[in-house]
Amino acid sequence: MDPQLTSIIVPSEELVQIEECLGRLVEDTSSDYALLLDKSGQVISSKGDADRQDITALGALIAGVFASSREVAKLLRERDFRNTFQQGVRENIFIALIEEQWILCIIFNKGTHIGLVKVLTKKATDELAAVLERVRQQHKARDEVLGSSFRTSMEDTIDLLFRD
Amino acid sequence: MALINVAAREIHCKIVYYGPGMCGKTTNLQYIHSQVPKEIKGDLLSIATETERTLFFDFLPLDLGKVRGFQTRFHLYTVPGQVLYERTRVAVLNGADGVVFVADSHKKKMQENVNSLRELAQNVTRQNKKFSEFPIVVQYNKRDLPEDVLVSVQTMDHYLGVTRMNWPRIEAVATTGAGVFETLRAISRAVISKL
Repeated sequence: MDPQLTSIIVPSEELVQIEECLGRLVEDTSSDYALLLDKSGQVISSKGDADRQDITALGALIAGVFASSREVAKLLRERDFRNTFQQGVRENIFIALIEEQWILCIIFNKGTHIGLVKVLTKKATDELAAVLERVRQQHKARDEVLGSSFRTSMEDTIDLLFRD
Repeated sequence: MALINVAAREIHCKIVYYGPGMCGKTTNLQYIHSQVPKEIKGDLLSIATETERTLFFDFLPLDLGKVRGFQTRFHLYTVPGQVLYERTRVAVLNGADGVVFVADSHKKKMQENVNSLRELAQNVTRQNKKFSEFPIVVQYNKRDLPEDVLVSVQTMDHYLGVTRMNWPRIEAVATTGAGVFETLRAISRAVISKL
């Protein structure tokens, strides 16, 4: 199989470390929310207000913002915009790229200073980069996670749910 | 690429509907959204212009529930079809696990179909993926057009290289829903087989 199509597998141990890192970032900056996404917009982990129901859509849109700004960078012959900041009346969003594959997003209100968010996000991205590098190098066989019986069950589910 | 979260026991896959402007990509998602049971679908999110042409993308998350202990989610996206938005299409295509190429069956749209498919091939290749191995399903939409403007399936196969590439090909009328779920089933199976 083409190795480029290999799935990303996030093991339990790494996920715990990611969650701890996001939790610390939320607490230390008094932010409302922190999200870690892969560049396709899939949410790997999130911490903060447990009532948030719109995480999936938020992930898709934030990844869209980032992918779009990456294309703008190319047009300007800039290597990458590694951070973007969106300022609202009540809520602000700071987004940072981790390596070339992951996106860290912090949502915070006017009670938190952007300078603090920038400094602590930088610290968190360095920490997460190390964890995510281990995730990237996971060569655990897919079949250990998803056996052939999984694919058969999946096909049955697809046929059942996606019918005319 | 798909994301498998072992600890949370979740699998996420991204499917993108690609094709020339006004070929029916958004209509496919709207039909799916209107028909699937409400417990599996999220809100259909559209970033469109005032005239309802897609500006950035449409997004529909589908939660298939637990399969062998894994919560499985498919995220469906469309790209804006107009030529102007080429860079936006690159952005949306980022990390896709599979593509539905929606082709317009109108004879005046054949060149646009070919150009769009060629652009898709370039964009997939730029992401360091082999186009020949990338999961693709081709949908010939608008099969209800009057006969004098409708291109035959064989001619479309020829122009788009569908037979040569061995892609599943489905005839559809997205406005009535004909072929929409058949397409979704085909691409979902193709993506799962590559997980």
